[in-house]
Amino acid sequence: MSFYDYYQPESLVEAFRLKKDNPESLYISGGTDLMVRIKKKELHPPALISLRSIPGLSGIENGNFIRIGAITSIGELKKNPLLHEKYPVLIQAAQELGSVQIRNMATIGGNLCNGSPAADMAPPLLVLGAKIRLQNDKKSRDLPLENFFLGQGEIDLFPDEILTEILLEPPEQNAKSIFLKKGRTRMDLAVASVAALVCSEGNRCIKARIAAGSVAPTPLRLVGVESLLEGAMLSQKLLAKAQLLATKSVSPITDVRSTAGYRRHLVGVLVKRALERLMDKELGESGDKEFGKKC
Amino acid sequence: MSEYLHIGKAVPRPDGPDKAAGKAHYIHDLQRPGMLHGKIKFSDFPHARIKHIDTSKAERLPGVKVVVTAKNSPEIRLGFLRDNMALKKDKVRQYRDEVAAVAAIDPDIAAEAIDLIRVEYEPLPGVFSPLEAMKEGAPLVHETDPRGRTRSHNLLPLKYHHESGDLEEGKQAAYHVAEGEFSTPLVQQCCMGTAGCIAEFDMNNNLTLWAKTQIPFLAQRDFNRALSDMGLKGKNTRIIVPALGGGFGTGLDTHTYEYIAILLAYQTGHPVKIVYNRREEFDNLSPRQSSQTHIVQGCDRDGKLTFRQVDVLQDNGAYASWGATYPSVMMMPATSLYRVPNIFFDAKLVYTNNTYCQAMRGYGNPELTWALESNMDELAELAGIDPFEFRMLNRNEPGDTTPMGLKISTCGLKDCLETVAQKLDWNNGTKKGKNRGIGMASLIHVGGGGRIYRSDASGMILKLDDFGNVNVFYGGVEMGQGLHAVLIQVVAEALGVRPDKVFINPTDTGTCPWDVGTHASRGAFMAGNAAILAAEKLRKKIFQLAEELFPAEVEKNLEKHLEKNPGYRPPDFDIAKASKRDRFDLHEGYIFIKDAPMESWLRMDLGKLLRSAHFRPQGQMLIAEAFYDPPNEFPDFEKGMGNISSTYAFGTQGAEVEVDTETGEIMIIRMVAAHDVGRVLNPPGLKGQIYGALAQGVGYALYEELKSEEGKIQNPDFRDYKIPRTHEMDFPIDLVFIETNDNFGPFGAKGVAEPGLVPTAPAIANAIYNAVGVRIRDLPITPEKVLDALKNNKKLKTP
Amino acid sequence: MKKQLSFTLNGSPIQVAADSHQTLLELLRESLHMTGTKEGCGEGECGACTVLVDGLAINACLYPAFEAADKNITTIEGLVEMKNKLSIIQQAFVDSGAIQCGFCTPGMILSAKALLDTQPDPSEEDIREALSGNLCRCTGYVQIIEAVKKAAVHMRDKS
Repeated sequence: MSFYDYYQPESLVEAFRLKKDNPESLYISGGTDLMVRIKKKELHPPALISLRSIPGLSGIENGNFIRIGAITSIGELKKNPLLHEKYPVLIQAAQELGSVQIRNMATIGGNLCNGSPAADMAPPLLVLGAKIRLQNDKKSRDLPLENFFLGQGEIDLFPDEILTEILLEPPEQNAKSIFLKKGRTRMDLAVASVAALVCSEGNRCIKARIAAGSVAPTPLRLVGVESLLEGAMLSQKLLAKAQLLATKSVSPITDVRSTAGYRRHLVGVLVKRALERLMDKELGESGDKEFGKKC
Repeated sequence: MSEYLHIGKAVPRPDGPDKAAGKAHYIHDLQRPGMLHGKIKFSDFPHARIKHIDTSKAERLPGVKVVVTAKNSPEIRLGFLRDNMALKKDKVRQYRDEVAAVAAIDPDIAAEAIDLIRVEYEPLPGVFSPLEAMKEGAPLVHETDPRGRTRSHNLLPLKYHHESGDLEEGKQAAYHVAEGEFSTPLVQQCCMGTAGCIAEFDMNNNLTLWAKTQIPFLAQRDFNRALSDMGLKGKNTRIIVPALGGGFGTGLDTHTYEYIAILLAYQTGHPVKIVYNRREEFDNLSPRQSSQTHIVQGCDRDGKLTFRQVDVLQDNGAYASWGATYPSVMMMPATSLYRVPNIFFDAKLVYTNNTYCQAMRGYGNPELTWALESNMDELAELAGIDPFEFRMLNRNEPGDTTPMGLKISTCGLKDCLETVAQKLDWNNGTKKGKNRGIGMASLIHVGGGGRIYRSDASGMILKLDDFGNVNVFYGGVEMGQGLHAVLIQVVAEALGVRPDKVFINPTDTGTCPWDVGTHASRGAFMAGNAAILAAEKLRKKIFQLAEELFPAEVEKNLEKHLEKNPGYRPPDFDIAKASKRDRFDLHEGYIFIKDAPMESWLRMDLGKLLRSAHFRPQGQMLIAEAFYDPPNEFPDFEKGMGNISSTYAFGTQGAEVEVDTETGEIMIIRMVAAHDVGRVLNPPGLKGQIYGALAQGVGYALYEELKSEEGKIQNPDFRDYKIPRTHEMDFPIDLVFIETNDNFGPFGAKGVAEPGLVPTAPAIANAIYNAVGVRIRDLPITPEKVLDALKNNKKLKTP
Repeated sequence: MKKQLSFTLNGSPIQVAADSHQTLLELLRESLHMTGTKEGCGEGECGACTVLVDGLAINACLYPAFEAADKNITTIEGLVEMKNKLSIIQQAFVDSGAIQCGFCTPGMILSAKALLDTQPDPSEEDIREALSGNLCRCTGYVQIIEAVKKAAVHMRDKS
C-alpha cells in the first residue's frame, strides 16, 4: 500500500509551484496507468499533483490549429463532433482504448505521457502530424509528437513539465484515414496497431502517413513505407510491397502478450488492410464497422 | 406438458434480489468485532533453503499484533499426502511458499510489516517441467516423504492405471490408427470474489471459520486435525459459508491461508481476516493443473474403435493437492467415452518447483477430452468416415457397462450428437465456405455424485414452523450455481408447499447435516434426492397428525362456511372415516383428502395443523431428516475399476468457426450445446450453468494460459490473463436440453454443473481443422500457433 | 493528508473525512461501510468496482477519493428505491437469470444504468460495448445481455 499526499491545484502556476516544493511528486490526470503502477509498487511518489482541476487543460477548440486539451478524457474525445467531422481516425482509436470505464477517466495527454509503445492515441496523432505543447514555470515549447518518444518508456518531458495541449493542423481536404488494432481479445493492449492517412488523386497517392504501435520501443512512423507509397499508383501489388516493407521497418519484442515474429507479421497485414480499406471507400467517422470485430 | 407444479419452472433464486441490491455479504464484506487483518509473506525463490527469518522490524511496527513463522508456531501438515505445511520451515519449494505471516490492525500496516520481514535464502537448483524433474540426478523437490524416509526421485507415489481387454489384440485388429501428443496449460479459476476467510476462537478455544469453501465438513475435519496439531485436541471447528463470489473448484481444498489465519487468530486472541487481492490470487491460489496426453486410437475398416491407449503426464508442482487426483477423473472419459474394447490408461504425476494445483471445473475431464475428441476426428479422417458418423458408430447406449465398470443407466448421447449435427447442417459437409468449418465433440461426466471419498452422502433436515414455513438445513454450498433455487423447488414439489414458504438456511457445520461437498456436479442431484427422502418422512408425520386434527378443523371450517352461505348443502362424505394417513395429500400448503369432494372448507392449512399440534398439552413440532448416500462405488484407481457415480451425464457441443488465415485469428460464428440433463429442474438456472461453463470452455480453447517461467507466474493479472468478455461471447449459442428422465435423479435430473466446458475446446479445434486444415494440439489455440501451422502446411504443400 | 470531502452520494449530500491515498472504492467500502461496490482486481480491469460519477461509469479502484469532491456519485445502494423496491434494471437482472455468484452484479448493473440513461434504445452491440469493461466468470454474459434488453424495454415503457 502506498501512502501519498494528493494536491488539486487550480492553475498551472500552482501546479508548477507544488512540483517545485515536492520534486519527487508526480503529475496525474486520469490515473488509469499511474494508479496501476503505484499499486504494483513500480512507483513510490510521496505526492500526486492532480491536473484535473486546472481550467483550460481540457476541451477541444477550433481555430487555425485544432487544440485538444491534454486532460480531455478519451470518453469526451469520442463524443466530440469536431473530431468526428475532421479527424475520424482519432475517434476510431478512442473507441479501441480500454473499456467505457477506462475511457471516462483516461486522458489523451496521459496516454501519451505513459510513454508506452502501445499507446492507442499515438499512431493516429502521428499520422495527423500532431504537435504537443509542453510547459513548465519558465517556458512553453512545442514539439512534433514524433520527437516526443525517445525510447521504451522514455519521453522528452522534463520532470517539471506538463503536456498541456495537442495541436492539430486543419485536415487536408481529400485525406482518408483509418486506425486498426489487434489484441489477444477485443479489450486489450495492442499486440500491434496501425494508423494510416492517405491523400490521393484518383489512384495516385499524393501523401501517405503510416504509424504503428507495439512493434518498436516507441510508437513509430513507418517513413520507409510512406516513401514507397507517395507518388505511386495504388494497386494490390504496391500494397503487397508496403506490407513486406512494413515488416522490415519494425523491431518488435517477444513478451508475455505475443512474439516478435507474430507482431512483425501482423503489422504488415495491418498496413496492407489499412490501405485496402482506404482505397475501397470513403471512411466515415465510425470507420469500418468490420474492424470492430476481428478485422 | 409438465406434470409438476414447480419442477421445470423458472422459480426465482432466493438470493437474487440481495445480490442485485449489493446486499449479499461475501467474505470481503464481513467484519467481526476486534478483527485483525492478516497478510502472508511468500517466498522469493522457487527452490531454496531458508537460512534465517528476521521478523524483528515487522514486530516493532505500530499496529502489528503478531508475526508468525514456522519457528514460533506449531507445525500444521496439510494435503492428502501430508507433504505440505502451513508455514515453511527448512526450505521453500515454490514461489508461493508461505514463510511468515502478520496480523495487524489494518491491511495496510499488515502489508508494510510483510515488507519489513527479511528472509535469508540459499537458492537451490529447481526443476520446472516433468521431464526435467524425471531426469537422472534431478534436484529433489522433496528429499523425504512425510514420514521422514528418504526419497530418490520426484514421482508421486500414486498409481492411476487401467487395463481392459487385450491392447495388442486391439492394435492388431485396427485398420486405421491415429496417434497424437496433446497438452493443456495452467489455467486459473478466476472467481470474481477472491479467496479469503475469517478465523475466530471463542474463549473455550473452539474455532469458527467463515470460509470460502465448497467442503464445509471435510474442512471441519481438516481444521480439527490442525487444532490437534496446535495442542487443542478435542476442540471443534465450526465452518460458516457466506456468499462465495464463485467456486469452480477453488473451495475443494483447505488452503494454507486458512491455516495461517487460524494460527494468527489463536496467537492474538482476535478474529483474523485474510483476503487475497487479485494479484495474490493469481500468484498464490492453486490453479487448474496442466497436462500432457499421449493418445493412440485405432478402428477397424468399418470405423468401430478397436483400442485406445492413453498415457498422461502431469506437472504436479511442489505439493500434492487435488491436482494429483485429476487422473482419477480422466480415467472416466479414457475408459468410457464411446464404446471401446481394449483400453490402456496410465497417468504419472511429478513433483516440480512450479505452483501446485487444485480442482477446477471438470477436474481432468476437459484435459483428457481435449486429447480424446481431437484424436477421434483425426482417426475418422484416416478411416475416411465423417466425424459425426464415426461418433454415432461408437456411441454409448443406455444400459452399457463400460470397461471401467461405469453403469450407464440413461444416455442421451445419440440425441445429443444428432441435435448438434442437425443444427450445424452437418449433412452438407464440414467445410462451410472459405476458411469456415464446423466441428463437434462429446462428453461423459459423472451426473449422480462421484464417490471419491469414503462417503458420497448428503444429509437434509426439514424443520416446519408454526407458520407453515419449511426451514431447510443442507450442508452443501450455494456458490452461484443456483443450488438454493433448485432446493426450494424440490422441497416445494416433494412436500407439497409453495416455494415462497421454503427457506434455505446458511450453510453451517454447526446446524446443517453432513455433506461431503459441492463438487463433481453433485449439488442438485444430492440435495434433490435427500430433500425428496426427507419430504417423504415429513409428509408421513404431517398426515399422522392430520388423522387426529383434520376432522375437527374441517368441521370448524364448515361452520364458518355455513354462516356465510346459509343455503349451502355439504356433500355426503364421511370425513372422520376418510381421515386416514394414507388418504391425505398436501398441495400448495393445504392438507386435503385425496378422494374427497373439492370444497374450499374441506382442507386444512399446514400452518394451522402445526399450531394445533404445538399449542396443546404434550404438544409437538415436526422435523424430518434424511441422509442420502447414492448407489455408487469408490473405484480402485490402481486397477481402474468402479462405478464411481450413480448416473452419467452426456453431451455434445458443436462449433462453427471462421479462420482469418492472414492473422491466425479464430472467430466463432456460432455454437450448439446439446446436453443430456435427465430433467430440467430450473430452466434459467440450467441455462446459466451451461452458458457460463461454455464461456469458460471458450476461454480454455482460445485465450487462457497462466504462463509460468522458472516457477514464476508471468501474467498474474487480468490485463495479461485473458478471460472472455462480452465481445468474446458475441456469437449465438443454441442450447438444447435432452431429457432422459434418469431413475436415480431427483425428478429424473442429472448433475450438469461441469459438462458445459468439457467438450468445448475439441469442438472448436475440430471446426478449425475442417475450416483450414490445421490441427492444433496444444491449448490455447492462439493466432500465433494457427499462423505457424498454416505456414507449415503451406511449406508442406508447395514442392 | 486528510480532507473533509463534500459530495452528493445517491442523491443525498454527504460529508466524510478522506485520506489522500484513498481511492473512491476504499472510501465507499471502508470509510462509509458501503460494501455493495466490490473489489475484483484493484487495477481497472474487471469492473466490479464500477460506480457512476456525474452519470459516467468509472472504476472506483483507480479513482482518487479526493476527486469525488462536489461530484454526484451513484452506487448500487442508490438504485434500491423506497420500501426495498428494486429498480427496473435490478429487477430485470433478477428476472432474467442474470445473477449467479453475484459478485460482478453491482458493477454490471451500474454499467447498464450508465448506458440506458443515455441510450434508451441500445442495440445488442451497444450493450456488449457498454459491459465490455465488466468481467463475469459465471454467466457467459448471455442472460446479462437479455436482462439489459428487458430493462431497456421496461424503462422506455415507464417513461
